[in-house]
Amino acid sequence: MKRFLTFAAVSLLFCLPSVALAEEVDPVKSWDNHFRLYAILVTAIWVLVTVLLIYFSLRYRRKKGQGDGASIHGNIFLEIVWTLVPFIIVVLLGVQTWAVFQEYRKVPKNAYELNVQGFMWGWNVTYPDGIKTTNELRVPVGTPVKVNLTSKDVLHAFYIPEYKVQEEAIPGRTTYFWFLPTKAGEYRAYCTEFCGAGHSLMLAEVHAMDKADFQAWVAKYKEAAAALSPVEKGKKLVDGLGCLGCHTITGEKSTGPTLKGIFGSSVVLSDGRKIIANEEYIEHSISEPKRDIVKGYSPIMPPYKLSDEDLHAITEYLKTLK
Amino acid sequence: MTQESAGRSGLKEWIFTTDHKKIAVMYLITSLVVFTLGLLLAIVMKAGQWSPGNSLVGPKLYNVLFTIHGAGMILWWMIPVFTGFFANLLVPLMIGARDVAFPRLNALSFWFFVGATVMAVLALVTPGRLDIGWTGYPPYSIKTDANTSLYVFAVHLLGASALASAVNFLTTIITMRAPGMTWGRLNLAVWGIFGAFIIQLFGIPVIAGAVTLLLFDKYLGTNFYNATMGGSPILYQHLFWFYAHPAVYVIALPAFGIVSEIVSTFSRKKIFGYTSMVIALMAIAFLGFDVWIHHLFTKGVEDWARIVQSLLTLLIAVPTGIKVFNWLATMHKGSIDFKAPMLYAVGFITLFVIGGVTGIGNGLLAIDIDVHDTLWVVAHFHTVLSMSMTMVAFAGIFFWFPKFTGRMYNERLAKITFWIILIGSLLAFVPYFKLGLEGMPRRYWSYPPEFTSTYRVTVIGGFILIAGFFMTLINIVRSAFAGERATANPWNAKSLEWTIPSPPPSYNFETIPVITAGPYEYGSPEEGKKALPEEAEAF
Ligand code: HEC
Ligand SMILES: [Cu+2]
Ligand SMILES: [Cu+2]
Repeated sequence: MKRFLTFAAVSLLFCLPSVALAEEVDPVKSWDNHFRLYAILVTAIWVLVTVLLIYFSLRYRRKKGQGDGASIHGNIFLEIVWTLVPFIIVVLLGVQTWAVFQEYRKVPKNAYELNVQGFMWGWNVTYPDGIKTTNELRVPVGTPVKVNLTSKDVLHAFYIPEYKVQEEAIPGRTTYFWFLPTKAGEYRAYCTEFCGAGHSLMLAEVHAMDKADFQAWVAKYKEAAAALSPVEKGKKLVDGLGCLGCHTITGEKSTGPTLKGIFGSSVVLSDGRKIIANEEYIEHSISEPKRDIVKGYSPIMPPYKLSDEDLHAITEYLKTLK
Repeated sequence: MTQESAGRSGLKEWIFTTDHKKIAVMYLITSLVVFTLGLLLAIVMKAGQWSPGNSLVGPKLYNVLFTIHGAGMILWWMIPVFTGFFANLLVPLMIGARDVAFPRLNALSFWFFVGATVMAVLALVTPGRLDIGWTGYPPYSIKTDANTSLYVFAVHLLGASALASAVNFLTTIITMRAPGMTWGRLNLAVWGIFGAFIIQLFGIPVIAGAVTLLLFDKYLGTNFYNATMGGSPILYQHLFWFYAHPAVYVIALPAFGIVSEIVSTFSRKKIFGYTSMVIALMAIAFLGFDVWIHHLFTKGVEDWARIVQSLLTLLIAVPTGIKVFNWLATMHKGSIDFKAPMLYAVGFITLFVIGGVTGIGNGLLAIDIDVHDTLWVVAHFHTVLSMSMTMVAFAGIFFWFPKFTGRMYNERLAKITFWIILIGSLLAFVPYFKLGLEGMPRRYWSYPPEFTSTYRVTVIGGFILIAGFFMTLINIVRSAFAGERATANPWNAKSLEWTIPSPPPSYNFETIPVITAGPYEYGSPEEGKKALPEEAEAF
């Protein structure tokens, strides 16, 4: 017993640093170590039980004329052993899982941030430079990637088996996860939260690209975007940013006021002021919605951090909604 | 089937009966019917998975199939067979009572259960077929045009039925034990049922509330689960799993008890570590309420809550391990007779340990971040719950078959089907662990082509398994009418229910027995034919 405890203590010391001392944090590597230890321990348990089961079944099979088995009702020492040993094993694994989980949650400072929005049935991806893709996630190899995840309609979950990570996409909330692309390649991402008829088809491609390739792709995309007129660009932004989840462009009220004919209209604010919606007001309404709340609505619109150029494009587009 | 009315037990007598043994049989029949339906649905789901792209059923129909398969198997087969059939059959007989505390309430419980079944069938035949998964997560269950209301009403009726049963059986066990039947002499099956009903009592009000709010959101326009109006869809999952996780132990605790009865009887040995068995049962019932977040490890829950509940989940392995090792120790130096119930019990142990240790994998927070909602989880709960507990149900049905039908089942057929079911289970579900680790999510109507060969193994396994199940069903039905007549105690068992005729008279005990010993008094020196060294020590 004593020897076992020492063994357990040593292995505990042994497995903790293997998590903490990894040169570069990559949860997948720690996951692999963690899973290996887990798999070895539990396979051993299963083999032990099954071997005993078979052995006892053969060895103590009733022989002709044999009466009852031995009169034993328990054994305190044995019972303590098989309470304590499993306890030590699960504590060992539990401490290790805690350490690995911490890696999963602590996003490196230099992470490249993407916004992903699930919808029935696909994924919208927004990059820091305003690039947008659908069902396609392009990431640079060697840079940690943080994904801010939300959903447009029902629950979804974004799962990339290659990076051993998944998180729920929840409407009205943002969750996150991060991963470190280590090898260039194309990997599959799945939706793992049941979301209706298209659930099984809600796949996305993750393209891990070498840094140079990635930059080339960004540059090319930007060129194409620059060729758009402000109004076209604005429409793309409004469609892509989920504004239409709360606003209509047809004149009906929704969670927020309609965007139809907003430019130049007179707006009554919740503090009683009455103003004319000019460019400045519209741009503020988007970047700092809490500043002026329209009367009769709740202050639930999230602030959008957009470039001046994008704000301008949206305003230009809203002007056309007569 | 009671003595006075043997030969003319008309339909009317069954419908108006308050006899716990008859009610037990009616539970068994109802749940076996739904079990059969669940198997038929499983066949269709499996068959369609022979090739990617599922040519047999479309995605919409597939969603309906797995919803009904899941709800049916959990709510109408597993839970009722243990808390309906076994609880009714065993509790009064094992504690030495003539019936339960409130026989009429007991009948009402059963008829609520039937009402729920009718409701569920209506949900199937009315437009808007149920495609929400047995879990019914909002917002999808609110947005879809499926007939969520009938499902919710069915759950309400099931809940009412189970709550009434819980009050009834807890009262019975606490107050109606025969003189001398101390807590320390109670059968482990009764302890298991006791734990199960404590869980029902505390858990069901929570899930009933959860689904009621779902109904309000869907039909009255409230926003409990609507994030854009200040509600939370994840709240539903917390409330749902607060009951639905312990519900696993509503099934497992009685099953553990039944396995203990069988292992002890056929090893002709006292159950090893009776006290630690009882403590383990109660510890699981208690811990079961503190681990529901393991179903929400990837749902944006606070990090600290995930860690705490991960550690608590792992702790459940300890009392569960105690049970497994105690069963093994009971077999050690036993005199084991491999009648079908014992075979099933042994098969259960090995399958259950596969399911149990993979459950540790799910419980390990970091591992779960990968395997959550993949086929790994499907493999886990089909081994630890579906297959294991169905094996126990069959073991128990065969074990007490002589008692409740007065006839013997077909031993040979039961043994053959055991092997078919064991091999089928392993083939059908073990490959799912591999698929899950390779990233294949659950509840997918189709799958990427690279998984085809592994899927095909599970399809073949599934068909073998289902064949085994149908053979067992045939065995049960045939033997109930045409089996050999049984004696009062065909297993030579020591527990109270075997001291009365098979089937027991409607009043069970002619005079209420006075209990002087526990239920597992095997290997007592005066009865053992061969003296073993341990017996000398015991003197
Ligand atoms: C979560 C819901 C929500 C989303 C998403 C949302 N808004 Fe709003 N928005 C509101 C609400 C509510 C108001 C009214 C209260 C206020 O003034 O903040 C509002 C107000 C506005 C106003 C001022 C309207 C007026 O009549 O004065 C503008 C302009 C606007 N939003 C534009 C946008 C744009 C552009 C987007 C997308 C980039 C967007 N909103 C996304 C809810 C939303
Ligand atoms: Cu989905
Ligand atoms: Cu659970």
